[in-house]
Amino acid sequence: MHTKYYTLITGASEGFGKALALECAGRKMNLILVALPGPELANLANFIKRNYSVDVIGIAKDLCKEENCLALFEEVSAMKLRVNMLVNNAGLGSTLLFSEGTLRLYETQIKLNILATTMLTRLFLEQLQKNSPANVLNVGSLSCYFTLAKKQVYGATKSYIYSFSKSLRCELKARGINVSVICPGCMYTNMSGTLLLKSSGWLARQSAMNPEEVATIAIEGLLKKREVIIPGNINKFLLVLNNLIPSFLKTFFINRQMRTLNSNALKTVPPSPKPTFSDAIPYYSINLKKHNHENK
Amino acid sequence: MKIFITGATGYVGHSLALTLANKGNQVNILVRNPGSVKVPVHENMHVFKGDISNRTSIRKAMEGCSYVYHTAALVKLWAKDATEFYRTNVEGTNNVLAEALEANIKKLVFTSTCGVIGASLKEPLTENDPRIATFDNDYEFTKFMAENLVKQYIHKGLFTVIVSLSKVFGPGIETHPVSVNKMIKDFIDGKTTFIPSPGTYVSNFCFIDDVVKGHQLAMEKGLAGEKYILGGENISYAAFFETLRGISKSKSKVIPTPKPLAKMVAWMQWLKHTITNEDLFFTARGLNHIYCNKSFSSSKAMQQLGYAPTALPNALEKTIQFLNLQNHAH
Repeated sequence: MHTKYYTLITGASEGFGKALALECAGRKMNLILVALPGPELANLANFIKRNYSVDVIGIAKDLCKEENCLALFEEVSAMKLRVNMLVNNAGLGSTLLFSEGTLRLYETQIKLNILATTMLTRLFLEQLQKNSPANVLNVGSLSCYFTLAKKQVYGATKSYIYSFSKSLRCELKARGINVSVICPGCMYTNMSGTLLLKSSGWLARQSAMNPEEVATIAIEGLLKKREVIIPGNINKFLLVLNNLIPSFLKTFFINRQMRTLNSNALKTVPPSPKPTFSDAIPYYSINLKKHNHENK
Repeated sequence: MKIFITGATGYVGHSLALTLANKGNQVNILVRNPGSVKVPVHENMHVFKGDISNRTSIRKAMEGCSYVYHTAALVKLWAKDATEFYRTNVEGTNNVLAEALEANIKKLVFTSTCGVIGASLKEPLTENDPRIATFDNDYEFTKFMAENLVKQYIHKGLFTVIVSLSKVFGPGIETHPVSVNKMIKDFIDGKTTFIPSPGTYVSNFCFIDDVVKGHQLAMEKGLAGEKYILGGENISYAAFFETLRGISKSKSKVIPTPKPLAKMVAWMQWLKHTITNEDLFFTARGLNHIYCNKSFSSSKAMQQLGYAPTALPNALEKTIQFLNLQNHAH
């Protein structure tokens, strides 16, 4: 009998995770989608089942809590689902001055971005090896390469992911498990993010990508066993530039770019200490730069 | 019953206002230019000069009303200044919602678009389906933002319902240079019609009379915070024009146009725009909206509201009669 394998994607109900889920479904992979409890997960699972001929299992779990990572593993094991691809996508972003964030936010951010990724990779390790050739995709960020204002904790968690993935890759190669890390730049993933991008500087708007484009690049890169995946030419160019120019100039430019981004961001989105990228913020007054993003 | 309607000089709002006035309701409408020929005229119609960007004008027009239909929106795929979309569709909607809450409005129906739900794959999309592609135009994005506002007002205590329309056609005023009515008219007038190639792309076409009825049903039976697709038949462009040919006996050619060619036309139009500053009808990126499936299911509205869309041939027949009459009038 043909063995049925599954791809497990965390943070799958929205944004980049949703795009990854659709990309994998398009490649005929059976899916285990993990996301926060809410109607979005069931709606997405239902949509994929109806439109692609793959098996989809939705599991609602808040991975900020360690016990839920364990519970997820146990649930998947109990269902006897064979996982041969693990996508650690769930993460929490923030753009805040360090003093603006609460202890709770940083705790959640570190637990979700670092701990959940580490725990799930460890928990599913034996399974992945048994089902090899297997793949692990960790979602880092372009911000782990740069010194960025207002991204201290977030950037550092992503640096962990980057470093973790590269070392783990060497270790797991012999076990038939490929580990790749993707470092995307800005994406149009949610309403507040999209508005922020639309009102930010030229460079940020040019480098921003749609999650569905990035998802295709991510899965392609993963299946080609790339070590580090950088989506988008502008992002790649920024990295080359980063390696070429002296560090004092770099700091100057990045700070300047961030200043414009932040000053614009303040006009559109009130800084929120909440640990969510909430779509519920009312946008009564939107101060957008004139822009035509059509026909560029 | 006293009802407040925004967007009464728009295609859907105009028909809705007249229908409600005909039924004996007192209808207050807010219009920017009371002298416009697009203002619906009826003895039960009360015209207020104003704008949804001006809360005082909304307050005056809404006074004494129990129900609100918010149909006003900036509907086009492209505007020179994209902030227009945000001002009208998001801030304007917020103004109407805030005033409705203050005025203790019993129920508000918000007119939105299936474009917020997006393009479909194999199966017709429902109200709950996730959007698969990122928003690529400000119209749909701002309608999405407005929908979120409408849903938020539920928690503030305003009873709101959303109706999502697909491509609307049928008797009514002409408000856009690009419309399904215009497409039908050109075809029956013998003009060559260009459709996306392959002609098998499916779209959803809904009849204005159904949409107007659907709005009233949503007001009558719609549940708080729910969204209802008011669509029509899912049909390919090729089959749509074949149906139209069967009814109208038109001999017009229908030419499936490959996307690259359409893109070239769009770019040429863009070039012309940069010289003459004429408004754009469509853009290269906007073409993505035609070269895809947009299939929607109205079953939720049919089951929960009793929405009953007219069969496409019947709807087309009525539309052709109307368009021919209009031709004779000119």
